Amino acid sequence: MNKTLRNPYVYLLFVLPTLGLYGLFFVYPVLQSVFYGLTNWDGLTPAKYTGLDNFVKAFNDEDFWISVKNNMYFILFSLFVQVPLIILFSLLISGVKRLQGFYKTTVFLPSILSTSIIGILWGFMYHPSIGLFNNFLGWFGLEPIYWLSDTKWAMLSILVTNAWQWMGFYIVLVLAAILAIPKEINEAAEIDGATGFQRAYRITTPLIMPVISVVVMLSIAGAMRVVDIVLVMTNGGPAGATEVMASYMVNKALRYGQYGYGTALSIMIFVIALLLTAIYQIVFARRQERIEY
Amino acid sequence: MKKKLVTVTASVLVLSSVLSACGGGNKENNASPSASPAASPSTSASPSEAASPAPVERFDVSLRHIQIGELQKFRKAILDEVVQKAEAEVPGANFEMDAVEDSFNRWTKLPAEMAAGNPPKIFDLFGGPGDGQKFARANKLLDLTPILDELGIKEQFTDYSTFVVDGKVYGLPIGAGSEGWFYNKEILDANGIAIPKTLDELEAAFETLKGKGITPIAMGSQAAWVPFMLLNTLIPRYAGEDIQAGVANGSRKMTEPEVVAALAKYKEWVDKGYFTKGELGIDYTGQTNEFVAGKAGFLFDGTWRVSTFNADGVGGALNGKVGYIAMPAVPGGKGDQSAVNYNQNNGYGFSADVNDNEKAAIKAFIKHLYTEEYQVRGFQEDGVLPSMKVDASKLTSDNPIMQQVLATNAAAGKVFPHFDSLVPGTVNGEFEKQIQNLIAGKATPEKAAEEIQKAMDAELAALK
Repeated sequence: MNKTLRNPYVYLLFVLPTLGLYGLFFVYPVLQSVFYGLTNWDGLTPAKYTGLDNFVKAFNDEDFWISVKNNMYFILFSLFVQVPLIILFSLLISGVKRLQGFYKTTVFLPSILSTSIIGILWGFMYHPSIGLFNNFLGWFGLEPIYWLSDTKWAMLSILVTNAWQWMGFYIVLVLAAILAIPKEINEAAEIDGATGFQRAYRITTPLIMPVISVVVMLSIAGAMRVVDIVLVMTNGGPAGATEVMASYMVNKALRYGQYGYGTALSIMIFVIALLLTAIYQIVFARRQERIEY
Repeated sequence: MKKKLVTVTASVLVLSSVLSACGGGNKENNASPSASPAASPSTSASPSEAASPAPVERFDVSLRHIQIGELQKFRKAILDEVVQKAEAEVPGANFEMDAVEDSFNRWTKLPAEMAAGNPPKIFDLFGGPGDGQKFARANKLLDLTPILDELGIKEQFTDYSTFVVDGKVYGLPIGAGSEGWFYNKEILDANGIAIPKTLDELEAAFETLKGKGITPIAMGSQAAWVPFMLLNTLIPRYAGEDIQAGVANGSRKMTEPEVVAALAKYKEWVDKGYFTKGELGIDYTGQTNEFVAGKAGFLFDGTWRVSTFNADGVGGALNGKVGYIAMPAVPGGKGDQSAVNYNQNNGYGFSADVNDNEKAAIKAFIKHLYTEEYQVRGFQEDGVLPSMKVDASKLTSDNPIMQQVLATNAAAGKVFPHFDSLVPGTVNGEFEKQIQNLIAGKATPEKAAEEIQKAMDAELAALK
């Protein structure tokens, strides 16, 4: 057996099925996408080669860049609102002595609900006349806001709903990291006179940085591929105000039968995702130090 | 070493061939009878079994329809009856009903299935260059001409031109519809408003209702085809009833001042707050519900909505309290000011990929659905105007709204279609986008007209 395992071809044999599947389901579709991205194809009749026309069109397509901007809103909201809140809630729950399990379950609950249910649920809360938020505004004599119909408010409404859906999942991740920190470290700090805030800021947060980094990465990935919540709540409306890259691409390909252009857009989305990954690597991942307790 | 390597390789090969054999067997077992209609004779069949008549092999025929929910219950009942009759006529036929929401079927599901090559055998289909004609040109639709000849009903249709490509028929309209103003008599009476006969009176009614805190026009513009109905009538009022055909063939332009004037009038109504507040977040059902709840004075909708206000309809509360008028003439408008919209662009299409059994089932489906009986029933029960030549004496209705529809249409000198039955899908899409931009204040009437024309010019240039 040992002799067999020294033969490099045996390893190749074991890797072959995976390579085959990878080639079939990843490499081949990507190459095919690149090909169709260079064509004018309606999905029904044979594709016609048009060179880089689709990419030139995409660069000048104002609506596409609006959808890119909307995805960026998702990323920025995740990084600057969601992640700080995740850390805050995790710290709070980790400090709770009683009913910690209850809090953990409660915050985790939204992430196991289907997006359709969440969309309908929040649709009611945003309802102009019977919705919770407008009722609340009404107590102060404020005019109702058309949360999902007003181009000024629709994006924020979806961002909040999306954050509510996914925060629980990340809180549980961060909480697990916090609870894994040896108690002695915090106890020692307490004996040295560190306040609760100082311990959270100076000890706990730096120690959970690897997990926060993962949360940031997952948030960026999630924001890049977000589409379901948008389709359920506004379908890209009002007047394209909440259109995201994925919904725009699908719309172009299916609704208008511009499969060639849709494929070109998918390649552009891929490139944008690569760029963001590179930025993430530079800003977060490379600064990570291995933490040993 | 070598021996072991051979053993490992052989094991992998044996295992994979065993697994693939399992997969193949499974696939065979799951194959639908429709794909392999010929039953394989069993070698162990007893003589008595062999003597009995050959058992009828069951086969499935997928049928995609859009008759969902309470609003469509009358049409669904007709469809169910037709399916029963067709199943009784064709031994073994089993129609598998697949209900999908209208817009989702038209804009997403069916186009995706067409591209993937797996549409249902029978499906709800729109005509025109953006839908049926596009699929027909790609050989995805069944040529119905021989079936229509065989059944002898080809001449029975009043107009199926939006389903025709190169003289062949690829779809059949199930009915026709006109679009006009429904009004709530109770609200109008309570506010001292007479039924408007001119545009000025209509606008004065809107103003009065708005002043009383009542929504003048129920509108749900989340899907742009809903407000498009109103614009599709407003534009021909200003620019003439040949504007749709003219824009489609390039002889007329969206940028003509009359078209821009129609867009400007729509924008004026938006700015004056005549439509439901937050309309861009309200869907078609929401629009109907608002009118049914008695919260709006007017509703611009198709005549298919008439049955909603039947005593047993969803809007039964408004039974006897709803009236119907055509869009009044506009001052200085071009063309026939009495012209009404008349569409027969929605019906059924059939997949080109069918075997003999499925074709027989399709023929039976067409034979039973496209009859005078159901055309009349559709009209009487549901307010669907006939798409076939029907004995006029049978087209009477006790329904007062339907009587108003018939009178309005009878008084019309000319009819005009909907833009979406004549312009390519991309132009229709641009139209819808610009309507929503107009409502959201993101486009001026001039800019909207320019953008739509630009899309049309690109399509016309591509044809050359």
